[in-house]
Amino acid sequence: MHDPRMKKRIVVTGLGVVSSIGIGHEEFWKNLLAGKSGVSNIECFDSSKHRTHNGGEIKSFDPEKYVGFRRSRLMGRTSQMALVAAKLAVEDADLNIKNSDKTRIGVSLGAATGEAQVIEGIDKVWVTQGEDKVDTKLIRQYSFDNIPSNIANAFRLQGPVRIFTTACAAGNYAIGYGYDMLQTGRADKMMVGGSDDFSYVSFTGFNQLGAVAPEKCQPFDKNRKGMMVGEGAGIMILELLEDALKRKAKIYAEILGYGLSCDAYHMTNPRSEGLAQCILNAMSEADISIENVDYICAHGTGTKLNDAAESAALHKVFGEKIKEIPVSSIKSMLAHTMGAASAIEAIACCLTVKNNIIPPTINYETADPGCDIDCVPNEAREKKVNIVLNNAFAFGANNSCLVIKKF
Amino acid sequence: MEKTRIVITGIGIVSPIGIGKDFFWQSLKEGKSGVKPITLFDVSKYKVKVGGEISDFDPEEILGKRGLLDLDRSTKLLLSSAKLALDDAGLEINEENSSRMGVSVGTTLGGLDSYSKLQREAFIEGPKYTNPSHFPNVGVNSPASRVGIKFKITGFNSTISTGMCSALDALGYACDFIKLNRIHTGMVGAVEDFSIEAFLGGYKLQYLSGFNGKNDPISCPFDKNRNGIVLAEGASTFVVEEIGEALKRKAHIYGEILGMASCFDPAHLYKYNPKGQGMIRAMRMALKDADLNPVDIDCIFANANSTQDADKIEVKAIKEVFGDKAKTVPVTSVKSNIGESFSVSGGFSLAAALGVMEEDFIPSLINYAEQDPDCDLNFVLGENKNQKLSHVSKIMVNTFSFNGAHSVAIIGKLK
Repeated sequence: MHDPRMKKRIVVTGLGVVSSIGIGHEEFWKNLLAGKSGVSNIECFDSSKHRTHNGGEIKSFDPEKYVGFRRSRLMGRTSQMALVAAKLAVEDADLNIKNSDKTRIGVSLGAATGEAQVIEGIDKVWVTQGEDKVDTKLIRQYSFDNIPSNIANAFRLQGPVRIFTTACAAGNYAIGYGYDMLQTGRADKMMVGGSDDFSYVSFTGFNQLGAVAPEKCQPFDKNRKGMMVGEGAGIMILELLEDALKRKAKIYAEILGYGLSCDAYHMTNPRSEGLAQCILNAMSEADISIENVDYICAHGTGTKLNDAAESAALHKVFGEKIKEIPVSSIKSMLAHTMGAASAIEAIACCLTVKNNIIPPTINYETADPGCDIDCVPNEAREKKVNIVLNNAFAFGANNSCLVIKKF
Repeated sequence: MEKTRIVITGIGIVSPIGIGKDFFWQSLKEGKSGVKPITLFDVSKYKVKVGGEISDFDPEEILGKRGLLDLDRSTKLLLSSAKLALDDAGLEINEENSSRMGVSVGTTLGGLDSYSKLQREAFIEGPKYTNPSHFPNVGVNSPASRVGIKFKITGFNSTISTGMCSALDALGYACDFIKLNRIHTGMVGAVEDFSIEAFLGGYKLQYLSGFNGKNDPISCPFDKNRNGIVLAEGASTFVVEEIGEALKRKAHIYGEILGMASCFDPAHLYKYNPKGQGMIRAMRMALKDADLNPVDIDCIFANANSTQDADKIEVKAIKEVFGDKAKTVPVTSVKSNIGESFSVSGGFSLAAALGVMEEDFIPSLINYAEQDPDCDLNFVLGENKNQKLSHVSKIMVNTFSFNGAHSVAIIGKLK
């Protein structure tokens, strides 16, 4: 679609992760390959009255350690996680922002529920003591636009700053926008990714829909019982290849493009046609064909509907070829980190092409004929991986697919 | 490379001063105010009892009865404006063009009311007693998604939440997708609903005009006695197309998007940079994007929302950018009529700016009574005083958020 002659080459030079299986991409990657689960008993609120009680909660996150007491107390947990991930990514990229042109650096983030725990705090006071007793400090923090603003403010950035609130695919939308900012020449570097803290409302709502697995998340398994709610943040540094080479940066991967689509059919019931269309859009924009794809990082939430629709979409796009392409879901380990999910998954994709190892789908026990794909069951796999697709499909059928290539 | 030209061919407005672009423009011409007593929730114990509420909003009139049952107010507002815009553009969506169309929506608090209500219900009644059919409404992207579903638009569906800049940022996003040839037509929306959560937030943070009980709640941008915002709700949707598409289907063209820019000002969180550097840069970047000089701009729709600092800083920034031209360029703000509709404010300003070019009038600042020595621009006051209206062909629309986002659009008559 987009004229390839006009294309600039855009690479990933820094990774920052805050997750239930590790803070910092090294620990995250080690645990991802070991198939470690980040799922545990929920402690951030009382889940005794819910049907299920487990989630991908981060138990050992201390934002003050990274960003100091004064700054971290100004913001909610989602902003804290995003800022820590951004800081880790900047350090990883060895980027000297102080000496850079800050008008040419922007932030593009995704979030589904944003500062959920701030709003939870407000509503808790509201129902117990009355709305007049709500702390103004919390009111100041809850709005979505605070999240990217907190990051841009901390680094004194002056480029384009956005937050995409396209639910469970928000991270991919934000990465795509950052990519577009570089393609269209409106920024030289972008901090892109997503963040969401553990949301009481998401947990309650998905429970009420009967969509939450009680013990473990089992994407593509015949007996999968649903998704699990999680939290986390993932931030990547995108920059123009020529700039990265000039400053001798280490390069994790290249972004080839992305595709979006919308089923325009149902809020919670995904359709394989729409999913297939967005994968096709992504491949067309990246100028690759099905022969080029070596790995697919699945949306793979672990619900009956999603995994079946995603498998069907992959069969539609790849036909027989899908048998040769590993497709895994790291949500089996991290649970669904909502707006952060596709950002953290994109980071996993970068590490996959860099290291030629594919993270597994854990908790896989029984094959499902309705999900006839190679989901890399239970153990990481070594394979030369050149090009990967990162799928993310959201509530409202806001579909997205990102194409990442080995550099 | 030839620049992609993008035009606006459909306008859908649901506002406190009128539903549909014609009523909206008519009210602006007459200098009507949309500020009225709040009826959507009980405000008896608060000092502020008025807002820009759309009291006569009846979604069934616009959308029909079917399918509205489980939708929240923000979704109904956006769906209504989208329907009005599509009808206005005379655009039919079919299998052929559906995948070449996308939905881009700006909203920041759009799902908050549903989100908080479900949460409080769970706290009080227990999580097992919440209604699962209300759950899809808690997503901020729910209004945009419902527009996609209702009108079968399959190209993409995005929601952006950058506060006051959301409407223009959603426009910029759709324009990028057209320029990159991913789509040829965009449905660009913005929505905020009048909710108790948003009202209480503004009230407790003392943003609302009249919160202290000493001043009357009034929206009077640039007036010496301005004392805060009057909260408002509404929705705007614009159909934007690559010019070739619009000409091909012989659509009526309201105007062309000449330039867009957006930047961040990191000086402060939660308040404007007193030096206005972000505002200055955003306006200059938009002029550069449009390949225009300040002298080319015929009218400015200011961000001015009747707060002491925002209005004063914007005046300073306009003077810095426009130099001598700042003395003569007409400046107005539809927030004097509507109040602060947050994510939709840029959409209302844009719709008014298109009205200027379509109907040859510039809406005046209503409620303006006393001059502030710090705000001395050529404000549009009374009935179109001194304005040579046929000459208005290029208009700047400003949206500046106290959280640091700054976005500006420049539109013009089609040449």
